[in-house]
Amino acid sequence: MLNPLLVARCKQHRVVLAIAFLIIFPLLMPFKAIAVNILIYGLFALGFNMLFGTLGLLSFGHAALFGGGAYACGLVMLKLGLPWYVGILGSVLAGMLIAATIGAFAIRTRGIYFAMVTLALAQCLYFLADQATDLTGGENGLRGVDLKTIQLPGMTLNFVDPLTRYYVVAFFVAVALFVLSRILASPFGAVLEAVRENEARARACGYHVRMVRYLAFILSGGFCGLAGALQALHLSIVPLETLAISNSGLVVMMSLLGGMGTFFGPFVGAGIFLLLENLVSLWTVHWQIFVGAAFVACVLFFPRGIWGTILMGRGR
Amino acid sequence: MSDIILSAQSVGRTFGAFRALSGISVDFQRGKLTSIIGPNGAGKSTFFNLLSGAFPPSEGRIVFEGRDITGTPQHKFAALGIAKSFQITNVFPQLPVHENVRVALQALVSRYQIWQPRSSLPELADKADALLATVGLTDRRLRAAGTMAHGEQRALEIAMALAANPRLLLLDEPTAGMSPEETKAMMDLIVKLASERTVVLVEHKMKLVMGISDRLLVLHHGELLAEGTPDDIRHNDTVKRVYLGQREH
Amino acid sequence: MDGITPDLLALQLFTGLALGAIYVLLALGMSLLFGMLTVVNFAHGAFYMLGAYAGVLLLSIGVNFWFCLLLAPLLVGSLGLLCERFLIRHLYGRGIDYPLLLTFGLSYIMVEMVRILFGTQGLPFDTPDALQGASDIMIGYFPTYRLFVIGVAIVVVVALWLFLERTPYGLIIRAGARDPQIVRILGIDVARVWLVVFGIGTGLAALAGLLAAPLQGASPEMGSSILAEAFVVTVVGGMGSLVGAVVAGLLVGVVVAMTSLVAPEFAQVAIFALMAIVLLIRPQGFFGRAGLMS
Repeated sequence: MLNPLLVARCKQHRVVLAIAFLIIFPLLMPFKAIAVNILIYGLFALGFNMLFGTLGLLSFGHAALFGGGAYACGLVMLKLGLPWYVGILGSVLAGMLIAATIGAFAIRTRGIYFAMVTLALAQCLYFLADQATDLTGGENGLRGVDLKTIQLPGMTLNFVDPLTRYYVVAFFVAVALFVLSRILASPFGAVLEAVRENEARARACGYHVRMVRYLAFILSGGFCGLAGALQALHLSIVPLETLAISNSGLVVMMSLLGGMGTFFGPFVGAGIFLLLENLVSLWTVHWQIFVGAAFVACVLFFPRGIWGTILMGRGR
Repeated sequence: MSDIILSAQSVGRTFGAFRALSGISVDFQRGKLTSIIGPNGAGKSTFFNLLSGAFPPSEGRIVFEGRDITGTPQHKFAALGIAKSFQITNVFPQLPVHENVRVALQALVSRYQIWQPRSSLPELADKADALLATVGLTDRRLRAAGTMAHGEQRALEIAMALAANPRLLLLDEPTAGMSPEETKAMMDLIVKLASERTVVLVEHKMKLVMGISDRLLVLHHGELLAEGTPDDIRHNDTVKRVYLGQREH
Repeated sequence: MDGITPDLLALQLFTGLALGAIYVLLALGMSLLFGMLTVVNFAHGAFYMLGAYAGVLLLSIGVNFWFCLLLAPLLVGSLGLLCERFLIRHLYGRGIDYPLLLTFGLSYIMVEMVRILFGTQGLPFDTPDALQGASDIMIGYFPTYRLFVIGVAIVVVVALWLFLERTPYGLIIRAGARDPQIVRILGIDVARVWLVVFGIGTGLAALAGLLAAPLQGASPEMGSSILAEAFVVTVVGGMGSLVGAVVAGLLVGVVVAMTSLVAPEFAQVAIFALMAIVLLIRPQGFFGRAGLMS
């Protein structure tokens, strides 16, 4: 049993702990590219978890937010010729804008309808991107989102170097973690807790529950859009599949695996998922069958996810 | 100000083919404690839900302080000055008792503030402590609300309802499922609250409210059977026949 | 828009109805599962795909198409029964999200199994000889096979309606959907009713997939894109409503067909626009109960 005071202290300083971990993490990983992927998908899952974990809203259209961010970053750099950081900014805005649009329809519905409507609207964006070949490259993806060096005052970072690339991505993830922890600790964070705990009561207190959900959806879009931009820079291409249903499913899977509604669960889930995927794909091309099996096993046996189960074991 | 705080004007409600309530017109007087009583299935809860805006009436209007509030969404009631407690216990079970009240208070000042920490609103924490003292829950402030005894959770609910400093407090069977001691404590609390604001109470057990109410409404089969002071009701033959005759003796 | 004559419009309407017939079969299964079991089957597209591959398999061992129509849904429906019995059943009462997530995981497994057994490339699927060519339907010649698809859908809808309305078993299913508690009190094994419903729902998806195969071939991915469209139909028609599934299925089919006449590149997007409009005007769908949504 861990000392509860120690646990409370850890919770208080979780952002600091997370940053410390982010710094040493690549030194533990044999392949830096996987570490970068874990960060990106962890951030994506974090944004998703903001909705499902904290509000119980299951979205199956988060690929639209992630992919929308990725395309936005790429388009800002390629079509507008603006620097990469403007692309990042644009991706956050695009994620929020797409969330605001999808949310305007989806938030009118609840529960399973929400999952279906978000899935359908995300699929709609997929078709649009597929059709707008001139802008997005269609099935070939948006190519040439190249970032080679980053100019900082007094130094030049080589983005092609795996470790440097990792730390650049880690910087943005750390910023996102900081922002999320501020949101959760804010008065609005208290409202999110209240809505999750008891919707009717929150409404009687005077909270506009639907508006709270809508805002949470938009905030979630910001995180997912950022994750999408980081992926675009990491891959230097935005594949059309970024917007596909399978990508939405992937993030649901990672959150489920890690533990819904926990702060670090999404990263744990993304990490385990991607490591497993890499291991299994060394052995067979049909790794998706294991993804499905892991999904089924998780739902049946570990509904709290791995991180969630660990936290429960410690009495949380 | 007018001495009528709330009035129901020929309100009715149907659920599909079922007529739960029909043609009820009542004025509730400011500063008074009014109890709505009636046997099971009389339409008390439906009437309460119409008054508190849980769902709109199928016909008629509800007027609060001269303003038509029919169909106003639930989340706007707190700002109007109307608060309610629920028939089933309804708190934020996993949050600490103090946070329950603090969140209720916060609804009036900050809903969408996402950057400053909660501690930037220290006056809310103090007010929450004061409200907990009013309902006698000071020594429970850090407990998870869901782990408290039933009576304590009901008291917490009242503290949350009081957060908006409502001019009208609507209580739905506040003593349901309580032990005799808890019931006594709750009735004392209600009397204390009624000295400062208008209270409308739905209660199944007539005896309980006879002594404390200023006015009584008796519902039966979805209609208003009688209305008046406890004495009027006690001596009303119709009431005796359908209510007292059946249930209390 | 030159060249769009009333006859062309009428023919395109029929094309839409044929497409709609497939949506109807899919959405009927989906609505049945939701209405009766409150399970949203995210593997519905995968069962649809399995229907097409069951056809491929049966035809390859010499079963003729007409028996396929019967056998493929039976085979896939049996698989559905197994899934319900051994996996999904454990999740009833644990919240609506869990069966949804589980079926989503199942769809991955099914798609990958098909890739292992039949390859990752799609397979062609020949229209049965008797249904090749076109028939004169007064306004012009129309592909016989598409007429046949419409016919099968009509037969299935009528049969399903008779089954639910006119048989004792249908009565139990309808009662179980409204209030499982009552049915249980009456001493009826609800678990078995649900099992049967799951078999019917997945069997209908398989039939839809089999009927679609001659039109578009069979591929492992055919289920994932149709899933989103089936959702649209279910949302537009109203969740759990069988009448809604029929009306919305046909409507969506016609909308796709008509849009592809004027602006083919927007045919896919049009149905989502339709859903958006319906959600704004009537969030519970054409025949949905309002309470379900909030």
